[in-house]
Amino acid sequence: MQDTTFETLADLALKQSGQAFHPNKRYLMEARLATISRRESFATLDDLAHCLKSRPNPRFEAEVAAALTGKLTRFFGDRDLFDRIVTHVLPERLKLSKTGRLRIWCAGVSTGQEVYSLIMRLGEEVGSAITKADLEIIGTDISADCIETATVGSYGHFDVQKGLSVHRLMLGLDRNDTGDWQVKEALRQQATFKVHNLLEPADALGLFDVIICRNVLSAMAEPMQKQAADNLARQLLPGGLIFTAPGEKLSLGDGLVASRTYRGALERVSDKNKVAAA
Amino acid sequence: MKHCLIVDDSRVVRTVAGRIIKDLSFEVSEAGDGSEALRKCRERMPDAILLDWNMPVMNGLDFVRALRREDGGQNPVVVFCTNENDAEHIGEAMRSGANEYIMKPFDAEIVESKFAEVGLV
Repeated sequence: MQDTTFETLADLALKQSGQAFHPNKRYLMEARLATISRRESFATLDDLAHCLKSRPNPRFEAEVAAALTGKLTRFFGDRDLFDRIVTHVLPERLKLSKTGRLRIWCAGVSTGQEVYSLIMRLGEEVGSAITKADLEIIGTDISADCIETATVGSYGHFDVQKGLSVHRLMLGLDRNDTGDWQVKEALRQQATFKVHNLLEPADALGLFDVIICRNVLSAMAEPMQKQAADNLARQLLPGGLIFTAPGEKLSLGDGLVASRTYRGALERVSDKNKVAAA
Repeated sequence: MKHCLIVDDSRVVRTVAGRIIKDLSFEVSEAGDGSEALRKCRERMPDAILLDWNMPVMNGLDFVRALRREDGGQNPVVVFCTNENDAEHIGEAMRSGANEYIMKPFDAEIVESKFAEVGLV
């Protein structure tokens, strides 16, 4: 890959998705763009970059940027987190809710396993008040391809064996003729998936009790990380929480602080605190 | 160190699985079919058993049913590892006393994930 190609693609990623690419991550670019490059019949990424530069096309640019983002995810990627959210966070939020409605947003959900893990885990609660809550679970990702996979809810032989017990696999998914496994319709009906770029305001998605955003912000360059975090913070209901992945190093704007009640969670700085701090 | 018995009639599968499971800090021993496995269990009951389904002499399903009737045979965690991948086979294995189920082909990550599901790692 020529230096100018790396610069073109890194620049595109930064502007479109906020993602920061270090020059030693060229192999990652190659891997993530292999499918698009083949489909568009480019011999090399140099040709692809040349095309991006010489014939600007917003749709293709967005598609390339989406393909460049990390897609790695798995069922129950953070088992403790799902347990805590289902057994502690949501029941507490439910107590405060007048409507009995709880809204959860999985931001940067890639192919959707996080959403289905949460739905499966919620389904295992017996006798908890949470079973009577009016739950809405939304997953978003910048990649239209990922959102399509998530909506269909169909996963491969290897995907369904990492993070899912055979018990959960049998209860939650059906094996189809091609050997893939599809999330059962009753579970799919509980999920909503939408294409959304975290650098854009998310007002249209509404306000949330819990936002799960794992390994997404930390892949972004600093100013974009702040911008995306502020966009998330704006969609929190009062007292709502954002959960990132453990060990994610983030530089956040002044809109978010570490929660005192929930280890590892972030909450919005209330306007009252801002005044007090000033 | 925990002890895992790998039961499969394919030497290649035993070797591959053995490497993966050794990397998870297990002592590993092998058996080529269910009846050899049962003999080995009577000598020394393992902590975990990775179990193929279709084998000569005694298959995996008959083995796990027999094992669970043995003295101390309730203790080992039994993880099936087989080409059988339909709901009926999986259900039958679990009802017969298996704890987890791996569908072949598998890789190190799957074995580790499944062992984690049953508290072995």
